[in-house]
Amino acid sequence: MRELVADYLAKRISRRGFVSGLTKAGLTMTAAQSVLSSVSSVTYAQTGPTPPPAAAAAPAAAAGPVKAFQGTGGAAFAEQLVATGVKYIFGNSASEDAQFYEALVDRPQLKYVLTPHEGPGAAMAAGYCKASGEPTIVMQAGVVGLANAVGQIFNAFKEQTPLVVYSYRTDQTRRAGRDGFEEVANQEQMLQPITKYTWLARRADMIPETVRRAFKASWTPPYGPSYISWHSDFNDERARTEIIPQNQFDPRMRVRPNPDDVQRAAKLLVEAQMPLMIVGDEVYKAKAAAKAVKLAELLGMAVTQVRQLYANFPESHPLWVGNVPAGTLASLTWPKNADVVINVGNKLQHNGPAPIVPRGRAFIDMRIDHGSIGNVMLTEVPLVADVGYGLDDLIDAVEQLLTPALRKKTAERADEIKKFSTQARALRAGIVNGPDWDQAPTIADRLTWEVAQFADQDAIIVHEAGSVALHSFNFNPLGGRELFFYYGAHLGSGVGTAAGVKLARPNQQVICLVGDGSFIFGPTALWNMARLQLPVITVVYNNHAYGGPHSRVINNVPSGRMVQTNQFVHDYLGSPDMDMASIAKGFGVDGEVVQNPAQLREALARARKHTVEGKPYLLDVQVARKGIGWKDKPWIPPIQVAEMRTRKV
Amino acid sequence: MTVCRKAAFVLACAPLLVLAAPAGAQQPAGEPQHKGKEILMAKCFQCHTDSMWRDARQDSRAWEAALYRMVGRGGLWTTEEIKLMADFLGTEFGPNAKPAAPQQR
Repeated sequence: MRELVADYLAKRISRRGFVSGLTKAGLTMTAAQSVLSSVSSVTYAQTGPTPPPAAAAAPAAAAGPVKAFQGTGGAAFAEQLVATGVKYIFGNSASEDAQFYEALVDRPQLKYVLTPHEGPGAAMAAGYCKASGEPTIVMQAGVVGLANAVGQIFNAFKEQTPLVVYSYRTDQTRRAGRDGFEEVANQEQMLQPITKYTWLARRADMIPETVRRAFKASWTPPYGPSYISWHSDFNDERARTEIIPQNQFDPRMRVRPNPDDVQRAAKLLVEAQMPLMIVGDEVYKAKAAAKAVKLAELLGMAVTQVRQLYANFPESHPLWVGNVPAGTLASLTWPKNADVVINVGNKLQHNGPAPIVPRGRAFIDMRIDHGSIGNVMLTEVPLVADVGYGLDDLIDAVEQLLTPALRKKTAERADEIKKFSTQARALRAGIVNGPDWDQAPTIADRLTWEVAQFADQDAIIVHEAGSVALHSFNFNPLGGRELFFYYGAHLGSGVGTAAGVKLARPNQQVICLVGDGSFIFGPTALWNMARLQLPVITVVYNNHAYGGPHSRVINNVPSGRMVQTNQFVHDYLGSPDMDMASIAKGFGVDGEVVQNPAQLREALARARKHTVEGKPYLLDVQVARKGIGWKDKPWIPPIQVAEMRTRKV
Repeated sequence: MTVCRKAAFVLACAPLLVLAAPAGAQQPAGEPQHKGKEILMAKCFQCHTDSMWRDARQDSRAWEAALYRMVGRGGLWTTEEIKLMADFLGTEFGPNAKPAAPQQR
């Protein structure tokens, strides 16, 4: 071993050769990596290019958890990712990252997932990130690959997912700005409106620090994507630099609310006649659903949710009054008389002019995302906090204020809410009585209901069927079924997200519900499901149409020429119909077309059998088009080029 | 109520006024309002106006199916309420009702 070390220090053998020699000498790969790590600092002290004085100063002072490193920029990048705790890298082929790929060979703890399209690849990374709570990075080839991923980065921004994105600048430092192949000036500016942080490393030895800052920015609440870049030649350049473990540069700051504001909020809540709680995704992210339940039970308080990614409260709980069906609390069937409203962790993104919380109600807003507090709603008490800590403090304050008389009042109110929620559950269950329930092709509600009957009690439902109402699942973040919905709505996220979720949670059933329109934007992640043996069940609601845009244009132009003539240019995806099961087969995923409700249960059983065997499966379920203006064979714009030809070639 | 508030109130009720005068038969003055219409105005308009469905012309069964589709979206109605609303809609917005007039823009 001594000779090996001497050869390595004298640069007679490569890093790879050194590790290989150690393992041949009987060391495990982990032990070999450990020896390599300790020898690397000696290497740095003895050899390598001479850095400028300023850069040399920092590694010389390196101590404790800080590790001095010398090698290529690409290797430094990989080494910092290891120290950051990254396990999976999602990327598409990028030749200028050669030194990074080279570094991966001897760092098996970094697993590279090759994704055949950058969009679904980024969705897969985001899905993994959301379901695991662990850092990951997605990388593409320069600006051309980046452009494909931008849509999913937009989703991550809207949905506050801590996704770190890297792509090199195609232009090398000594030819930058010459309008070279695949070059665009200031490519990082493309990402600035949709990231928390963007930065271009100016030197090779600054790569690890740039990586650290990106992860810190993304993972500091409120979460969001970061983008980092550097000229591609920095990956090849040798550098001396520092590698720092994640817990030293990212303390994952958690913030407690102002105690005075907590007291004010508690007083408002205990004195309210009908308090109402809105929950949101910060509850899921902070793993605080049990605390939200406790506060609601303490106060006898009804609970609802405005559109979010996750289900943040147990939907079978007697205080759950259902999701807000339309834009504002006014659309809730009950309660109509809420006088104090508390929001816990919902971003309250508005899609209409009316405030989600109507004027005239005392409003308490508890969120770590302080930037959007008070933007629309009049806010009586802002509670800027990690909602886990915020709920702890508020529960304590409420308990201190609750007298026996108030406890009696809250118990009576809880009974009133329970009476409503019991009745509401019964009415929702009545969906099976619709006259079209057994029709073929299947109505979307029937399909959703069948999947809900089929799904495991702790299944994860990834939902990208935008026009489909999700019902009957009884989501429960406290160990029951979980929901991964979307907000950004750059389509094509569902299949990739489901693949990433399954990678993070291999021991839970993952079912992806996706509309045909959404599916066709991102099916390449099916190939990843096949290659990585990710047994996901994908259910395509295939009505051969963009159902949402169809309904919305009629809503926008009622009684117009489109309706009068049944000529809709923008929504029909048939003629020819797309066969999603055949598309899946092309990616190595088995599947089948389901024509009617009678075939559904057996098809789902076959899907389960495949997943038990470790294989993904796809159901292409033919779904009825419903709404104004749909015909069995809808009109399509008369563009058929074959007949327009003058030469039959 | 100030003038501005009155104007806002009238605008907010505009969809209801449209519904109150559908393309089908007008309700004679003094006759009681169809029960299904009452339910519809109380329970559907808390979420949306009639602009997304006023062009539909279909029988009561098809309207009933449409209302059941709303159950999955948060509509909380009894079977009886759905029947009454479907009956009203099938009459006023049935297959033979006149098309809605285009909106002026």
